[in-house]
Amino acid sequence: MNAPPFRLCALAWGWFAVVACGGEFPAARPVVPPDMVQIPAGAYTPLQRAANDTPQVAVASFLLEILPVTNAEFLAFVTAVPKWRRSQVSRLFADATYLGPWTSDLEPGRNAPADAPVVNVSWFAARAYAHWHGRRLPTIAEWEFAAGAGYTSPDGRKDEQLNRDLYAWLARPVPAVLTSVAQGRPNFYGVRDLHGLVWEWVDDFNSAMVTGESRADSGLDRDLFCGAASIGAKDTTDYAAFMRQALRSSLKANNTTTSLGFRCAADLPPAPSSL
Amino acid sequence: MKIKLPLLFLAATGAALAAETPAQAIAAPAACAQCQKAAAPADSPSDPSAKALATASAKDGQTFSKDSLYQLDGEFTDDSGRTFTLGELRSHPVVLSLFFASCGYACPLIVTDMLALQDRLPVELRSETRFVLVSFDVNRDTPAALAHYRAERHLDKQWTLLHGNADAVRELAALVGVKYKQEADGMFSHSNLLTVLNKQGEIVHQRIGLTGGLDETAAALVATGK
Repeated sequence: MNAPPFRLCALAWGWFAVVACGGEFPAARPVVPPDMVQIPAGAYTPLQRAANDTPQVAVASFLLEILPVTNAEFLAFVTAVPKWRRSQVSRLFADATYLGPWTSDLEPGRNAPADAPVVNVSWFAARAYAHWHGRRLPTIAEWEFAAGAGYTSPDGRKDEQLNRDLYAWLARPVPAVLTSVAQGRPNFYGVRDLHGLVWEWVDDFNSAMVTGESRADSGLDRDLFCGAASIGAKDTTDYAAFMRQALRSSLKANNTTTSLGFRCAADLPPAPSSL
Repeated sequence: MKIKLPLLFLAATGAALAAETPAQAIAAPAACAQCQKAAAPADSPSDPSAKALATASAKDGQTFSKDSLYQLDGEFTDDSGRTFTLGELRSHPVVLSLFFASCGYACPLIVTDMLALQDRLPVELRSETRFVLVSFDVNRDTPAALAHYRAERHLDKQWTLLHGNADAVRELAALVGVKYKQEADGMFSHSNLLTVLNKQGEIVHQRIGLTGGLDETAAALVATGK
């Protein structure tokens, strides 16, 4: 994921050359790291809205990593930051199955191929990795907005192929050993594997308040949550989005599971201005 | 002509609060292969195996137990404007809740319960215990706003009212298991939880919901002194 600096410079110079030859001052455009793409600004329609909420939430343009974080990349992190190694992490920040598929602290081993997405990582660990990288986790709104795109248009709901692939994935058990990242078809924005490989942590997962078992403890729920003005779902056909939201609401920040990984996002960098 | 090296895009790491709304109304999705795999394992904060004497280092070189919330290195500001790290609560039993000052429903009840709890503690324990309120509302609940709230609710010096940045508050909320989200009208939906920490900053008890349970909470506080 870490591109060597010369590649970044090469990109910048390439852009400069285009500007110079064009002889025209271009609209300022941010330089995007090679492992990320810029997601344009847009609007996200949350699954559930309170009675007095607007139906859509504006999402500012941001950068998103093209691929989920791999075992090799996470290995570099735990090598550099010992407190996130499996044997050293605090149970408060990662539960007992943290990096469970790995052979040892610094050896992912055969059950965690280098180019497969890292899983069994907690929210705290994913966040620490992102911050170590100078990045952050995407918010629910950002992730869902990017993942809402189809293969050929920004609106995945109308993309029949995407929906077939998505539901085929949901019906398939998680394989014992996950396959490599980057095998999934890029979506409209050029992002891969948002669906079809693993679930992904988001920064504000703990704003999802669907409880896991709303049939059994609805009395307690009303008491537990303040602000019970929710009117339920906008689009009940988006089954996969319900599942993601239910998963988020069932997780605690130190939980780790065999099918939950993450990718990083970043705010849009300032456009180069001093040409 | 000069080109800036493109190092600037190591972006800020602030956590944006997503504007999304809670749903209590929807049912859990039907079981499927993926979500069964993803079902979160239970992990009690008081897991005895992790309770050993193992210590973890904090930023300032202090050591806290492996289960101590004080390992969080987020910075807060109290209502007098002083920088505050949670580790300063060490060696005190603590009753902690997240709240926001303009809440018109649950938060006043929680604070009232915390006051009732303070009243019913044995004198010695009462003077030792710290009552801590941390605000979700990082924009409006400035230290000055919190000072106003303290005066309004007549909270004595046993009480600590904290403002934090969005990151610090989200991490603390995640650790105590509080969910929250800002609604379009500026109010917050949030879990109602009272959390008791022992003198090491470990969670020893939580009251879930808004009613009852004060006896158990008081008992948990008494037990922290044993």
